[in-house]
Amino acid sequence: MKNARGQINALLVGRCALRSFLLQASWNFESLQGLGALYVLAPALRCLYQGEERKQAFQRHLGYFNSHPYLGTAILGSAIALEADAAAGNPQDGVSASDFNGMMMAPFAAMGDALFWGGIRPLAAVLALFFAVRGSLLACVVLLMVYNLPHLFFRFWGFFRGWQRGVEIVATIQRWHLPDLAIRIKEAVVILLGGLCAMWVSMMLHDKGLPPAVGFVALPVVGFCCWLARKGVSPLTMIYLGTFLALAVRGLK
Amino acid sequence: MTWTVLLSGGLIAIVAGLDRTALLQIMLSRPLVAGSLLGWLLGVPESGLLIGALCELLWLARMPVGAAIPPDDTQVAVGATCLTVLLNPAGGFAPEPVALFALLLAMPLGKVGQGFDRLARNCNSRLLRRAERAVADGREERIERLHLRGVLHFAGAALATFVVVVAGGMLIGMPLLPRAVPLLQPLTGELELLFPLVGAAVILATLHVSRALTLFSTSFVTVLLTIWLL
Amino acid sequence: MSVVLARIDNRLIHGQVLEAWVPHTQADCIVVASDKVAGEPLRRAVMTASVPKNIKLVIGGLTELAELVRQGVFSARRVLLLFETSADALQGHRLGLPFDRLNLGNMHAGAGKLRCSCTISLDDDDIVNLRCLEEEQGVQIVSQCIPADRERPWRKLVQTGA
Repeated sequence: MKNARGQINALLVGRCALRSFLLQASWNFESLQGLGALYVLAPALRCLYQGEERKQAFQRHLGYFNSHPYLGTAILGSAIALEADAAAGNPQDGVSASDFNGMMMAPFAAMGDALFWGGIRPLAAVLALFFAVRGSLLACVVLLMVYNLPHLFFRFWGFFRGWQRGVEIVATIQRWHLPDLAIRIKEAVVILLGGLCAMWVSMMLHDKGLPPAVGFVALPVVGFCCWLARKGVSPLTMIYLGTFLALAVRGLK
Repeated sequence: MTWTVLLSGGLIAIVAGLDRTALLQIMLSRPLVAGSLLGWLLGVPESGLLIGALCELLWLARMPVGAAIPPDDTQVAVGATCLTVLLNPAGGFAPEPVALFALLLAMPLGKVGQGFDRLARNCNSRLLRRAERAVADGREERIERLHLRGVLHFAGAALATFVVVVAGGMLIGMPLLPRAVPLLQPLTGELELLFPLVGAAVILATLHVSRALTLFSTSFVTVLLTIWLL
Repeated sequence: MSVVLARIDNRLIHGQVLEAWVPHTQADCIVVASDKVAGEPLRRAVMTASVPKNIKLVIGGLTELAELVRQGVFSARRVLLLFETSADALQGHRLGLPFDRLNLGNMHAGAGKLRCSCTISLDDDDIVNLRCLEEEQGVQIVSQCIPADRERPWRKLVQTGA
């Protein structure tokens, strides 16, 4: 029973990391990703515990878990390390794996949501649309590449780093300043979005044989829609309103 | 012909629908990717790409954070792409206004997606109950199978949304098509622009960036002037 | 000091707060009021790491924060105030944390709790606390997970759950 962390080799951790692609398969409103987290950890728990201990370990991890699907893997990696230490009889600073999960999941979710949903996903989409506007199917390749390189990096790097460093993963993640990185990416998205709209507008005007100066009309339109969006008007309503308005103007002519 | 379209549509609807939450999350579920992929499979790559591109920005700012379920833009894009082929099988109408019309039909129908998604997640609660019992009875080897059964629930929700979008779209769209397409035809350029502008506005309204509108306008004016002068 | 949003959220700082509420309310300061969290250094560290630099984050116990408010530390700030539980919210209001509207974000399910909506589950103590906040302290209580959701009065939730 001495070095239990040694029982878990990189291959096993890799298996757990691959399972993280299915983390949300049984997402439910009671434990959210809870059963999924247990599914990811199961091979490691089976390796560490037998009999009654194994049952207790499974029960411990069958609680509430909800974090970001990619960054959350770092927590699960750390949880394996903490369980291994506990199984070997030298728990770290009185922090159990489930306590650690409980403390980490929301802040890691906050970082992942800001970075991926708020930053990288719009960035990939806007970059891809530059190709889509020109009618190129390369757009899909661009979107998938720009998005998935950081996605896969964080998913696997996070899992292995968590396993290697345990509680210390907190210090690592602090050094990365991910929320500030997310803000930089969002600023880039806003700038690129301006360029994309300008390009889209000028291409439409070119097709219709209108002078590019007409394109400036788009700015107040965006400003007005932005105001509507802040008032809680849905994009669906705006599209329908816009369509009917265009049809009405056309009808009057 | 109709059956191949529905079969490939259903297949992409399930694969892309699972990618939203249950499986992988490698963004096969983005409208741009799912729409283009299906368009390519059905031999209408331009329509698929157009629908995907128009949809892409609209709900991009709605994030799957915590227990919030965003509107199902995946099935809107997949369903609309399917509808362009089903509504216009002989290619009698110009593809662009048909694609726009299909998209306008699919968007409100896609609203049901959130409901089906919530239903799937409620069904998953039963899996959790059974997993808890299994572990308590010392039969922990069962948790994998129980967990993975959730994939079926999510697949069912995706397929149900797809069916509602396509069936509803056909029911409403078929009688309206001969009148709607000539109306939309002269406006295709303007309407195709409406989507990205509304999408950009919604993103600017929700993205946490200080002075987002100023930054956007500066970039817009710079690029437009550059294109104008060149 | 203006409290632009006071919220009970058992997850405290997470995506819904940072990505949806902060931009919506244009808050520039997040205050986490919880005696429990204030005493957990590891949790404080990772919470601090999850907030971008342009937002000030203050994590403190209830009495400590009430004192800071009295000293006017937050006077020029747009504050988003977070509680972990209904008991903290009630005690915070009694101690003088200034809010007159309270948002119920996530109150997680547990044994013996009444499930009122997808994200809100209340036990008897929660209901007593919220009733007390509303009737004695005059706080208006609504449930709304993210700004894009509809606002619902909390009493309706309890009726549907019961």
